[in-house]
Amino acid sequence: MPAAAALKVLIVDDQFSVRQMTRMTLEQLGIRNVYESENGKEALNKASVQPLDLIISDYNMPEMDGLALLRAVRGHPAVRKLPFILLTGRGDRELVVKAAQAGVNNYLVKPFTQVTLREKIEQVIGKLS
Amino acid sequence: MASLDELKRTFFDECSELLQDMETGLTDLQEGSGSEDTVHAVFRAVHSIKGGAGIFGFEALVEFAHVFETVLDSVRHGTLSQTPEVFTVLLMSSDMLSDLVGMSRSGEAIPAGHANECRQALEQLLGKGKPGSSDGAEDAGDFEGLDFKPVPAGGEDAGDFEGIDFTPVQSDNFDSKQSYTITFRPKPEMLRNANEPLYILRELRGLGELNLVADLSGLPPLSDIQPDQPYVAWTATLRTDAPRKAIDAVFEFVVGDCDLSIVEDQPPPVAEAAPSPEVHHETPAAASSAPVAESKKPQPAAEHPEGGKGGAANNKKQATTTRVDLDKIDRVVNMVGELIIAQAMLGQVVQGLSEEVNESLSQVLDQVIHHTRELKESVMSMRAQPVGSVFQRMPRLVRELSMKTGKKIRLEMAGESTEVDRTIVERLADPLTHIIRNSADHGLESPEDRLAAGKTEEGTIHLAAAQRGGRIVIEIKDDGAGINTERVLRKAKEKNLVDQDVTLTEDEICNLIFLPGFSTADTVSDLSGRGVGMDVVRRNIQDLGGRVSLKSERGKGMTIQLALPLTLAVMDGMVIKVGENIYVMPMASIVECLHPGSSEAYNLLNTRGMLKLRGELVQLVYLSDLFDVKSTARGISESVVIITEAGDGAKFGLVVDELCGHQQVVIKSIEDSYGQVPGIAAATIFGNGKVALILDVEKLSELSAENMMPGNAAQPVVASATAH
Repeated sequence: MPAAAALKVLIVDDQFSVRQMTRMTLEQLGIRNVYESENGKEALNKASVQPLDLIISDYNMPEMDGLALLRAVRGHPAVRKLPFILLTGRGDRELVVKAAQAGVNNYLVKPFTQVTLREKIEQVIGKLS
Repeated sequence: MASLDELKRTFFDECSELLQDMETGLTDLQEGSGSEDTVHAVFRAVHSIKGGAGIFGFEALVEFAHVFETVLDSVRHGTLSQTPEVFTVLLMSSDMLSDLVGMSRSGEAIPAGHANECRQALEQLLGKGKPGSSDGAEDAGDFEGLDFKPVPAGGEDAGDFEGIDFTPVQSDNFDSKQSYTITFRPKPEMLRNANEPLYILRELRGLGELNLVADLSGLPPLSDIQPDQPYVAWTATLRTDAPRKAIDAVFEFVVGDCDLSIVEDQPPPVAEAAPSPEVHHETPAAASSAPVAESKKPQPAAEHPEGGKGGAANNKKQATTTRVDLDKIDRVVNMVGELIIAQAMLGQVVQGLSEEVNESLSQVLDQVIHHTRELKESVMSMRAQPVGSVFQRMPRLVRELSMKTGKKIRLEMAGESTEVDRTIVERLADPLTHIIRNSADHGLESPEDRLAAGKTEEGTIHLAAAQRGGRIVIEIKDDGAGINTERVLRKAKEKNLVDQDVTLTEDEICNLIFLPGFSTADTVSDLSGRGVGMDVVRRNIQDLGGRVSLKSERGKGMTIQLALPLTLAVMDGMVIKVGENIYVMPMASIVECLHPGSSEAYNLLNTRGMLKLRGELVQLVYLSDLFDVKSTARGISESVVIITEAGDGAKFGLVVDELCGHQQVVIKSIEDSYGQVPGIAAATIFGNGKVALILDVEKLSELSAENMMPGNAAQPVVASATAH
């Protein structure tokens, strides 16, 4: 059972407020090691140097979007198996299908509550303790 | 941790930036100067607003942004063409979106149906752009049809996520599989565009059971094979429960670079009994709403990290900015001000020391001075902001004005990137709005009148900013009818603002509109007659240490010029002396300083003198005369002449006794205590604790001109400013 306190999570979103909000929600779940990146490129750099347990990434970002990040992560031997949750908007089924094909572990529809965030994280990496 | 309120504030700050990006983008696109990247940028802005609004629970905002986004998506995919009508709706929607953001920010209740009209206009576009556009637009937002269950298969160990690779779409949850026959023949372009058929086939395999047959008939003998040519075609039978769109998506990037056909083999099996309601979204109508051919043209910029120049510029901004509370910067600015004063004090002390100590200390002090200046400049640039952020609000204003007045108005803007202190930028919005309202309301004529006057039907308002002589000059120019001086004078007399029998020049009459209590509107219009007159505009600008000037030409239009200081806190000054009095002159307004010989000065009618400077005659202005202080210099040859340039480019020579040196001065306003003093901009404190007045150079030239009027010659204008 993964311990929430030990979990290292990277939030990728170009909007500062969304990152902060997600961080706040994660912290409420007891996850203390939260990292942030503004876009896919930055996230990829971070993921290659910082051991992580989970990436939560938005789709729509400049520089490198969430799908491209996902593909890059899956194609990178060091982080290939890193659990990845994609944030999407309402009704973006096409995107979810594409992400599923690219090997996403789960998706999360914005806006989300603490409960759904927990659910999705637990579906991906197991029950949090 | 930041509080929710703080986060909301941050979100709204981001929104303002996003709204600006959106508006600039739309305007560029409308003018034809935008690119595909611009479309993406606009889409992304709206999308981000929607996303954030959702997280912070602004439902009305989300709903509207969603429809707007859907329309932009059609534009992005080229299914909705960029016609003027479409732009009208898009611009209207962008205005609506910024209204909604504003209302959400202020906590104002958004009346039900507030955005309905605009929303309907958007939906109409959708109807046009995408037949049967119900493609998940109102989707509940859940995709249960895709099975994401795969939880770590590899065990419960926190560190071990081995084996969680999962192929969610191969779910057996529904018996709604559909068979497709796909023929796929890559063209040479496809390889040239770096698309690999193998990956596409792999991706296709990811969708379900794939039966692949390669057609090798096109394969030439080995000796003839060109490595960059595709020779193989494939026929695939795919059995999948993924929607048709998912298959189209696989080929999304290569659809123009291959021969492709995707055919449903048989009608879908009866899926009515499928447990998930989401399946219903994939009705044949919805599925066919994005035929392959349509998705061919634009590929979302987001998928192309390299983007174009628009994207690159955007990225640059993204990557290199950080958000700092303005208060913090202000604290630094204040500290730099104090530091400059302390440094000046140190300078004084050093001067009083013995030569030996002095020398080594001075060297260090010089370095300190150098660093302080750089520090000041960096801090100032942190506070600086392009005036574009205010300018960007104007196109919307002009659109509204144009709509309300029925006049055709075009807004031209230039110099948006001119940077000026943030406080000034913020406080420019109201005066600019008012001046532009005035131009649209009173200045520009109706289309009929314009045609009758031999002008183009469309009136133009030109808004420009530029840095000139240490100031920023903002010009608002229209090509309307100009000021009706008879009417202005009549009104002024009616309101007893001037004497009944006064004779005034055209220019003087024009300047009457700046008098408090003056309003020429015959009828109080919705636009400018809001109780805010040009006097308030002038007051606002003066509060910022700026000046307003006006030029009008009957029948041709009117120009209003706002001259503003670049910063409000610290500046480079030249310390000058007249008799016992010390003043500071802004370095930026000094062109050169010289000791003239008496032979170079001339006395002409009504002037104290002119100076011949490299063949050019420059008018001399004696500071001692203007301020009525005693000069110690006997004659021009003992004085120093400072050649300065006013904002309008006119040169004049200011005659003073002595130059005492160049130094950074901290600007301290004296207005609160003394009100406006003509010719004096502010005061400063020196290292020795003494106070000196900072000259307002431009005003000095005006004062001297007034002083030269016959009969005024000997009157000091600022007697009160100096202790006498």
